[in-house]
Amino acid sequence: MSAGTAQTPASAPRPNPSSARAHKQLLDEQRDERRRTFRRPQRTVNTTRANRTGLGSRHLGLGISLSGGFFALFLLWRFAVQWDRYPNPLPTLAAWIVLLVATVATLIVVNRLADRMPTWMFLTVLAIGEIVVGLDLAGYGRGDAVDTYPTAAAAVGAFFAILVSVRRGREIVAATLVLGAVIAAGSLTAARDNPQVLVPAILTISLCVFPPLLGVSIVRGFRRMVQRELDLVLVQSTISQPSSAVGMLASEELARIDLDAETLLDDVATGRTALPLSPAKSAAAATLATQLRLHLIEGRRETWLHHALTESEFLGPAVNLDDPAGLAGELSPTQRDALLLAIWLLISDTDGAEPTVSLVFGPLGRTGGHSIGEMLRFPIKMIIEGVPRRRVDPETWQAIRVVGPHIDSVRSGQLHVDIECSIDNPADA
Amino acid sequence: MPRIARERDRVLRRSARVTGVTASVTSLAYLAVPGGPGAPVTLLVGALLVLILGCQYVLGQSGALRWVLCIIVLGNAAILVVGSNHRVDVGLTGVEEALIGSLAAGAISCVAPVLVVGPQRQLVLFGAFGVTVASVALVTMSAGASVLPLALTVCGWAALSLGGWWMAQSVPRVLQRVAAIGRAHHAERHASELEAQRRQGARLLHDTVLATLTLLAHSGVGVSPAALRQQSGDDAHLLRQLRLGALPTPSRSGVYTLEPANTSMLGSTLESVKQRFGRMGLEVDWHGSGQVLLPADVLDSFLLALGECLENVRRHSGVTRADVTISDDDTTVRAMVTDAGKGFNLSAVSTERLGFAESVVARLRDVGGTARLFSSPGSGTTVVLEVPK
Repeated sequence: MSAGTAQTPASAPRPNPSSARAHKQLLDEQRDERRRTFRRPQRTVNTTRANRTGLGSRHLGLGISLSGGFFALFLLWRFAVQWDRYPNPLPTLAAWIVLLVATVATLIVVNRLADRMPTWMFLTVLAIGEIVVGLDLAGYGRGDAVDTYPTAAAAVGAFFAILVSVRRGREIVAATLVLGAVIAAGSLTAARDNPQVLVPAILTISLCVFPPLLGVSIVRGFRRMVQRELDLVLVQSTISQPSSAVGMLASEELARIDLDAETLLDDVATGRTALPLSPAKSAAAATLATQLRLHLIEGRRETWLHHALTESEFLGPAVNLDDPAGLAGELSPTQRDALLLAIWLLISDTDGAEPTVSLVFGPLGRTGGHSIGEMLRFPIKMIIEGVPRRRVDPETWQAIRVVGPHIDSVRSGQLHVDIECSIDNPADA
Repeated sequence: MPRIARERDRVLRRSARVTGVTASVTSLAYLAVPGGPGAPVTLLVGALLVLILGCQYVLGQSGALRWVLCIIVLGNAAILVVGSNHRVDVGLTGVEEALIGSLAAGAISCVAPVLVVGPQRQLVLFGAFGVTVASVALVTMSAGASVLPLALTVCGWAALSLGGWWMAQSVPRVLQRVAAIGRAHHAERHASELEAQRRQGARLLHDTVLATLTLLAHSGVGVSPAALRQQSGDDAHLLRQLRLGALPTPSRSGVYTLEPANTSMLGSTLESVKQRFGRMGLEVDWHGSGQVLLPADVLDSFLLALGECLENVRRHSGVTRADVTISDDDTTVRAMVTDAGKGFNLSAVSTERLGFAESVVARLRDVGGTARLFSSPGSGTTVVLEVPK
C-alpha cells in the first residue's frame, strides 16, 4: 500500500515550516486517497450483515426511553397540579391518554423491529405526536389561564426519544425542532404581555427538546464506538495468519478473474463469441491474462499487517507501513495482537484530531555468527503525529511492551517510539 | 476485559458532558431573561456557571472524580446564591425557580452517568443526590416557593442515573456481540485463505488457461478455430470445476493431474504440453529422459517456463517445429528448447518485451532455477532452463 511513503523526519531535526506543511499535506492526501478507495471484502460484509441485529443500539434505546420517561412523569405531575386552572382540562387529558397508549405501542413495535423503522411507521408516530400537541394546546387555551403550561405536548419529546435507535439521528432532530417551534409558538403568544411567563415556557420547551436531542447524541457516540470496535475485531483475525498470506480482497479478486476467464472461454467454446475475436474481445483477453498472471504470483509476499491495514476502515487511512522485508510476518501472534492494539489505541483515542502513525520495520540486525536458539532481532520504528505524549494511554505502552522493549522520544512535535523486537529464528524451527 | 470497561466509561463520560453542557447553557439563558435575580447575583451565578461548564468539559475527557466534586460544589453554591438573595416580599420568582430546577436537574445531575459503576462511585452518587436535594429543599422552603424545582431535581437525577446505569449495561452487551462477529469472521478469513491457496495451487490449470487467453488476445490468429474452441471448452470446464470446489483432474487429455502431490513424474506431464502445442500447430519433439522425479512446485515452474518458451517459438520463430531435450544429473534437471526459426538479435530486442523476464525467469528463480537465452538473426533460438532436483 504505501511502502516507502513513511518519511523519516528524524534526519531533518528542524524542518522549516513550509516543508512541514507539505509533509502534512502529503499525509492528508494519502489519507483521503485511501479513504476513498476503501472497500471491504465481500465475505466480511456478509458476516457483519448476518449478525447485525443486536449491534443496533436497541438495548441502549430502551434505556434512553426510560430515562426520558422520568421527564414525562414530571410533566404529568405538573398536569395534575394545574388541573384546576384549566378552562377545560378534557382535551389535555385526552392528549395524555393518547400519548400513553401510543408510547406503549411504539415501545412494543420498536422492540420487535429487526432493523430500521419503515418510513410510513415513522411518519405515523410523528403524526400521533402532532395530534397530542394539538389536543394539549387546545386545552391549554389561549393563555387566559394563569400559570398553566403545555404538558402533554412537551412530553412528546420524550416520546420521540423512543425512536433514536431505529431512525437516523437527523430525522429525529428535525422532528424535535419542529415540535419545539410549535410549542414555542403556542406558549409564547400567551407570554407576550407577561415576561414572567417566559421562563417557565423556556423550561417546558427545553424539557421537550432535550431528551430526544441528548438521546440522538448518545446513540451516535455509541454507534461510532461499535463501528470502531467492529473494525478492530474484523482485522484482528489476521494475527493468526501465516507469515505471509493472500489477503481476502486478493482472494476474491482471483476468484473474479477466474470467473471472467471461464465466461470468456465458455463463450468462445460454444460459439457465442465468433472467431477470430474482435479487437475489443481480444484486448479483454489480454487484460485478463495479465491480471491472472499478476494475481497468481501476488499476495504471497504481503504480511498480515498489510492485510489488517488495507481491510480496516479506521487504521488504513491513518497508518503508513514500510516493511520491505516482510518482517512483520515473523512476529508471534501475541506480538501481532499487541502491535495492532497499540496502533488502534493510538488512533482511536482522539477527539477530532486525525493522527498518523508511520511504521518502519527493520533492517534485520547482523549479530555476527548465528548459533542455534539465538533470537533474531530487528527494530520497529513508530512515528506518531497528532498525539501528544501525555495523551497516550497507559494501555498503549503496555501493549508496546509486549511487542518488545522500547525507547520513546519527542522530536519536532512527533512522538518517536523505537521498539527492539526479538523473534524466534525461523531457521531453527 | 479492560477495553470494554474503557469504552463503557468513555461513552458514559461523553454523555455526562453533553448533558451537563446543554443544561448549563440553558441556565445561562435564564439569567438573560428579564425578571430574574438582581445584577450582582446574576454576575456571580454567571461566573459559577462558566466554571461549571469548564469542569463539565474536562469531565468529558478524563472522567475523574475531582471534576465531579467540583461540579457538585460549584452547582450547589450557585443554587444557594440564587435561593438566598430573593426579595423577601415576593419569594422566588418563576425565573429563579426554573434556574434552580435546571441547575439541580441538569447541570449538577450530569455527573450521575460517570458515577454508576463501582461501589465507591455509587456512594458518591447517592451523596451528591442527597446534597443537591437538600440545598434545593432548603432554598425553596425558606422562600416558601412551589415544589416545582424539587420535583424537577428528583426527576432529573432519576433519569440520568438510570440512563447512565442502563448505558453501562449496554456497552458490554454490544461488545460481546462484536467479539462474536470477530470469531465468525476469523473462520471466514481462514476459508478465504484456503480458497486462495486452492486457486493459486492449481498452477497447471492456470498455465493452460493463460496459454489459451494469450492465444485469444492475439485474436486466435494462426490457430484453427476448431482447435481453439476445443481448447477453450476444456479450459472453461476446468475453471468451472475449480469454482465448484473440486480439484479438477482433466479427463479429456487424461495425462496430467492437478491433485496435490509431493513429487511428480516429469515424463507424463510433458505429454500434455506436447498435445496442447500440437493443437495450436507447433510440433514438439521430445528427446532424452522424461523419467525424472521433481518436487511439485519445481515441476510446476519448470513446465510453466517450458510452455512459455514454446509459446514464444510458436508466435515469433516462423517455424512449426521445436525440439526439447531433457537431461539431468545428480543436482539439476535441464531442458533445452531449440528451434530453427528466424531468430533475433539479443541486443536489439529486450527480453522484457518477450515477457521472458516475467514469465520464465521469475518463475524459475522462485524455485532456485535459471534460464539462459541464445539467439542470432537467421540461426534460430535456443533456451536453456535449469532447475534443481
